[in-house]
Amino acid sequence: MLGKKIKNGSIEDTLNRFLKDDQHLVLGFEKDENGVSLRAFKNHLDHYSFLNPIFSTNGALHLRRLFSKGTKIILMLRPCEIRAYIELIKLNQIEREDIIAVSIDCLGTVSSKEKADDIPVEAGQLKDYFKNSDTMRWACKVCREKRGVVGDAGIRIDKDGLFWAFPYTEKGETFLTLIEGESEENKTEMLMSGSEKTDKFQNDMKTFAKDFTKCIMCMNCRDMCPVCYCIDCVFNGDEYLPKGDALLNKILRSGPVQLPQGKELFHFIRMYHVSQTCVGCGACEEACPQGIPLTKYFKGVSERLQGMYSYMSGKSFDETIPYLTFLEDELKNAED
Amino acid sequence: MSQDKAEKNPEIIGFACSYCTFKASEMAGSLRLKYPDGVKLVQVPCSSRVDPAFVIKAIFEGADGVFVAGCHPGDCHFIKGNYFTRRKIAALKEMFDAFSMNDKLRLFWVSAAEARRFVEKVTGMYNEIKERKNVRKEN
Ligand code: SF4
Ligand code: SF4
Ligand code: SF4
Repeated sequence: MLGKKIKNGSIEDTLNRFLKDDQHLVLGFEKDENGVSLRAFKNHLDHYSFLNPIFSTNGALHLRRLFSKGTKIILMLRPCEIRAYIELIKLNQIEREDIIAVSIDCLGTVSSKEKADDIPVEAGQLKDYFKNSDTMRWACKVCREKRGVVGDAGIRIDKDGLFWAFPYTEKGETFLTLIEGESEENKTEMLMSGSEKTDKFQNDMKTFAKDFTKCIMCMNCRDMCPVCYCIDCVFNGDEYLPKGDALLNKILRSGPVQLPQGKELFHFIRMYHVSQTCVGCGACEEACPQGIPLTKYFKGVSERLQGMYSYMSGKSFDETIPYLTFLEDELKNAED
Repeated sequence: MSQDKAEKNPEIIGFACSYCTFKASEMAGSLRLKYPDGVKLVQVPCSSRVDPAFVIKAIFEGADGVFVAGCHPGDCHFIKGNYFTRRKIAALKEMFDAFSMNDKLRLFWVSAAEARRFVEKVTGMYNEIKERKNVRKEN
């Protein structure tokens, strides 16, 4: 594939040139003494970092209901963040027009709850770090797409630790023209390969109840999910959960219940609602104060449900979300 | 109702499209065809109005089974509503399957003229669930 080799420091130059215009922004990672964090850069970059090995939130969260109205933005994010961005476009939550989305090869991340002072941000070292440490988040261990192959363009890292930029759309081509140098055929092997398939998710309600015993229904998991975007969530307010008289009635009718009530209801409805768009980023789990293994459930269920329609969330701009379309002749075995 | 009776007799919530399945249920009534008391119908303007959240809520608030029923594919009053229903409910079934609860949900098509089919479908579902419930109780 034709791409551009990125010489040392040249991506900072590229982005800085782009940022000269006051109406231009870059969303990417910044390294400082406290680690690496997500930042919206304006005018110029400081301590830019390609990689962010510490996961706190999914960057696409901040793009919800973004209608940029002429502000040009370059996203320099992880594949799971670009994939969430693409799903939000399909749900009319973002106007794509002025945004260039660049996905960067991801070597995996640790939770921001982890003590990560010594975690390197340089690709080769990071790879070695993860070889000798099992602190990688589960979501990353089983990530479906760690490669920078989604969005308008991708930044890939080759075996020698060199960075390459590849265009996937017309906007990606525009992005490449910002980078100095000529495009060339890439022949080296890449550091990141495709992901292995994981086993089909299977569970029972006993295990579910055990895993969710400690859930306090704070709904942080929903609030930090990049693709859980409804303004009028059915769980806003207390209409949908049994409480007061409704709770009393339920107990009198069907016996003792565990409190808080409605965990199954909340998580099952959320699981279904994000089933086609969940990118398996694990931001929900990261947001959970109770350490509940949410990714196992959300990613597990969504992979099964996306698999039914041979869909992968955020893989392409053009594939329609399965619930928004249909084939006349299909799914006969779902009918009773 | 005695406690025992309440436990052994399932409650089934059915979401029925007002243009076909719900009409069929009314016709079953006028033909004096009987179906179990435990089957409670909720009339919806189209089967595609059924957000799977309704189904999930019904199940976790005590229903033993839920069905979604609408016009046969191709016959939807809103032209293609039931095709969307099929996609959504098929996916919901897959999700229930992931939690080994797939015996709780059904999808069927019953036109306004098919009163007998309606009775057969809901009675069949009711009896199966009742049987399973009672077997479980005995163990
Ligand atoms: S989920 Fe995948 S893309 Fe996202 S941080 Fe983990 S490895 Fe990277
Ligand atoms: S449900 Fe969890 S894993 Fe899926 S997109 Fe939302 S935050 Fe990410
Ligand atoms: S963040 Fe954790 S505790 Fe809060 S509602 Fe979600 S699962 Fe429950």
